[in-house]
Amino acid sequence: MPFDLDAFKTAYDKWVAESLPDFRAHKMDEIVKKYPFVISDDVPWTPYSGKPSEQTFALVTSGGLYLKDSQPPFDTESIHGDPSFREIPRSVRQQDLRFAHAHYDHSLAEQDVNTIFPIQRFIELEKEGVIGKLTRTHYSFSYVNDVAPLISRTVPELIKRIRTAGVDVLFLVPV
Amino acid sequence: MGLIQRQVEAAGIPTISIGNMADRMGHIKPPRALLVKFPRGSMLGEPGNVERQHRVILDALEALGTMTQPGTVRELPYRWKKPDPA
Repeated sequence: MPFDLDAFKTAYDKWVAESLPDFRAHKMDEIVKKYPFVISDDVPWTPYSGKPSEQTFALVTSGGLYLKDSQPPFDTESIHGDPSFREIPRSVRQQDLRFAHAHYDHSLAEQDVNTIFPIQRFIELEKEGVIGKLTRTHYSFSYVNDVAPLISRTVPELIKRIRTAGVDVLFLVPV
Repeated sequence: MGLIQRQVEAAGIPTISIGNMADRMGHIKPPRALLVKFPRGSMLGEPGNVERQHRVILDALEALGTMTQPGTVRELPYRWKKPDPA
């Protein structure tokens, strides 16, 4: 695993203790400056092969999208953030969505969610045959500082689900 | 988000991301990424600009086939509310 969880936890606990006053004062630039990015120098790599026109795609956004009628919002209060994800069906409509993420301006995505989750554009590219298939289920994350549960639980679950769905390529939009 | 991308790529599924924070990419080192000059909250261009949103996705599909080095970040030339360069 190219991530040292123990080293992160130690640095993260210290960061939380130091950053809580700034977090409560919404000084986000300050807390980001001190955040423990514990990442190895090597970059994971899976060679890409094949053609998009014969492959299945899934989308991931970290814009805090959730289905207003059937899913709970993300936790936007905790300094730890929220490591969970929401499944967003490809049939989603703009009016089905709300945004739970306290650290960016949602107004552009509220006008057109495709700016951070280009689901309609991918459906069009599927119709045109540019991509083979847009899978049925896509994924939304929100703001996360405590990445330990994200790495140890949430992302393995995401990988399991997209593998089961036969996804060939994952397209991510970090917000 | 970069961590999610890294973990999925490490599990054997190719990934590509569209972001606007060069310094964040420098820290997190995503496997393949496009860097856009658009504001946070609108990574694929202006709301309702269907043509530009398509173009960014097509650039991503092209990058999948042409990026061969782990950690490649390619900057796109498009500017917010300005026409595409010729």
